[in-house]
Parts: sequence; structure tokens; C-alpha cells
Amino acid sequence: MRDPIKIVVIDDEPIVGERLKAMLVRDGHRVENFVNPLKAIDRLQETDFDIVITDIRMGEMDGIQVLEKVFEKSRHTRVIMISGYATLDLAKESLTKGAFDFIAKPFKLKELRNTIKKAVKSLDRANEQSASAASA
Amino acid sequence: MSIIIISSDSYEKGEEIAHNAARALDYACLDRELLAVVAARYGIPQDRLEWALESSPSSWGRSARLQDRCLAYMQSTTLGELLKDNTVCHGLAAHLYVVGISHALRVRILAEPVELAREISGEGEVPPERAPRFIDRQRKLRQHWSLTHYQLDETDPSQYDLVISLSQIHTDEAIKIIAQTAGYRRFAPMTYSLRCIKDAELASRVRAGLLEAYPKVKVRAEGGTVIVETQGSRRNKLKKAAAIKEEVQAMEGVDYVEVHIKNGLFKRAP
Repeated sequence: MRDPIKIVVIDDEPIVGERLKAMLVRDGHRVENFVNPLKAIDRLQETDFDIVITDIRMGEMDGIQVLEKVFEKSRHTRVIMISGYATLDLAKESLTKGAFDFIAKPFKLKELRNTIKKAVKSLDRANEQSASAASA
Repeated sequence: MSIIIISSDSYEKGEEIAHNAARALDYACLDRELLAVVAARYGIPQDRLEWALESSPSSWGRSARLQDRCLAYMQSTTLGELLKDNTVCHGLAAHLYVVGISHALRVRILAEPVELAREISGEGEVPPERAPRFIDRQRKLRQHWSLTHYQLDETDPSQYDLVISLSQIHTDEAIKIIAQTAGYRRFAPMTYSLRCIKDAELASRVRAGLLEAYPKVKVRAEGGTVIVETQGSRRNKLKKAAAIKEEVQAMEGVDYVEVHIKNGLFKRAP
């Protein structure tokens, strides 16, 4: 059996983070929740996480900056952007900068669950590839 | 994997590139063969659908309404097919209604001018000095058609993600460029863009279903919520709204309906 997936949720609306955390914990993941993106970045410097779910429009730091900071530390982490102000340009910018997915708020929990499943599959594939490269 | 929409000033070249790109990428190819499906689904002769795609916008009431309906039926069916993803689409005017969907790569192919003039004139060889006149006339017709029906100028290069001139680039090279561009991360489907195309499909399907009875109807969809706007007199406003609501509520994928009736012809003086 695999270790639980480590997820960070960053959203300056506490209710969003709490709701997501409850759902993700129920699904068997290990979750840390932040309303302040700067504190989340500090935590991300200390430990590697598998998935980061971040809002885009936040006070101290926007989601695109969070994405860049996460990738400075680890390209392995899958970053999922969520936004209540979704636009075509923002979605394209997120993907171009390496986001795994972009989801517009309000969203159904099923949509986020599907994205997490895809992210976990993509992490497993990447791990298998690096394992076979190491053994070759 | 994404959707590739090929538009061209030459139907023949657009078709050739669309089919070859689909083969190269192992995608499905959606073209005017779909018109048979549209004709069967909506009970409209196939030649009427082709007429709606090719002819100048009609200024006569009945004929203009029929052209609108034909285009709406095609739009709804095409969007339904495009939900499947991994598709190259050509010849169905999709570049004018698959807008704001980030995993759709919109490509414009500009044919070599002398070949294009030959295709447009239908006369075989056209002397090179006469080619610009033929092309200009066709360009103005398409501009007028697209602006009238979709409020977009299909001859404007800024409407596309990629424009390829076959005067400079060979057909095989064009296909490679298209395949490579479609692989860029920004054209990958994401939850947001998949929701956008689903909304567009639902709105166009609802509009297609209402258009015959309500020619002025406008429809938007967000999630399963559908917002319908049309005109009506003050007297029959409530009755009309209830009838629309009942009809739309029964359609697949609709969770909630909002109907707005704006005062039409017989507005009361302020």
C-alpha cells in the first residue's frame, strides 16, 4: 500500500480550505491548510509535498507566485490552481507556467477529486520513470 | 490532447490539411459529413445546411431566420462532437463559435493566391493578374457572412492562434507545425476549459431547440444552470416564460432554468 499523498491547500477564505481539507482527509490524504500563502511557502521550504492546491487571487501573494515558488523547490510537486475569477488568459498562463490543472470556482467536489486522481497517477508515472532510469 | 479547428480561405486546402493532420496525430476528423447527422436530427435538407454555410446573409425575414436556424443546428451538433476531444474539425464554421476554450487550437490556412482564384472562380485556370479581384470579392463575402452571423470577422488573423500561408510553407510542413503547436501545454485540456465547452454545448443545444418558436432567443449556460433571454409583449410575458421554462427543464443536462422576457415590439410608451 502506498503512503498517503501529502497535500497543501492555500486559500485566503478559511471556509474553502476547511471544506477541502475535510474532503481530502476523508479520501485518505494527509492535508495541511493555510490561509496565508507566505506561511504556506515557508512550510513548503521545510518539507516536500506531492500536491499543492492554491487559490489565485490572495492578499499577500498570488497563486502564480505560489506556483513559481513551489517549482523553485521541487518540479515534482503537482500544482492545482483554483479561482473565482477564471479567465482564458489566466488559465493559459497557469498551464504555460506548469500548473497541473486550473479549476474555476465554484466547483463540484467531484471535479477536484478527479483532478487529484489524475495528479496521483501522473506522480506514480513520474516515480516509475525515475526508478527505471536509476536502475538502467 | 486537444481540439484543432482548421479554417481556410480555400475549402479544398483546409480539407486536405485537416484530414492529414488528423491522420498524423491519430485524431478523429470532423467535417461536412456531419451535415447528414444534423439534417436527420433536425429534419432540415442537407443542401439547406450547405447553403447556410456558403451563401451571403439573407436580408429577407423568413430566409434569414432559416439560415440562423441551420447554423444553430450545426453549431449544436458540432459542439456535441467536440466534447469528445482529440478531434480535428474543418468546414463547419467552428472557428467562429469555439471561442474562449483554451484547449481548442484555432488555425487559419491561407491558400496560394492563383490556386485559390481557380477554386473560387470554378473556371479552371485564372490568369495571375485577375486572381486578386476574385480573392478580394470572396474575402468581402466571407467577412460579411461571419460578421452577420457570429459578430466575428473570420478573415481577421487576430482571431486565430496560428496562421499559415501556403505561399511560403508547404502542406506537409504546415501539418508538422500544427501538430507541434497542438502539443504545447497551453492547449492541453483542463477542468476549466472542459467546463467551458460543456457550457457552450448546452447553451447551443438549448438555443437550437427554442429557435423555431422564439427566433430572437439568446441562451447562456453555467454548470447546469441555463439563462434564456427573449422578447415578448407585457401581456403574454408570464405565459411565455412558463412555456420556455417547461421546455428547457426537460432537456438533458439542465438543472435550473432562468427565463428573462424583455419587452418586444409593443412596448408601452414611458
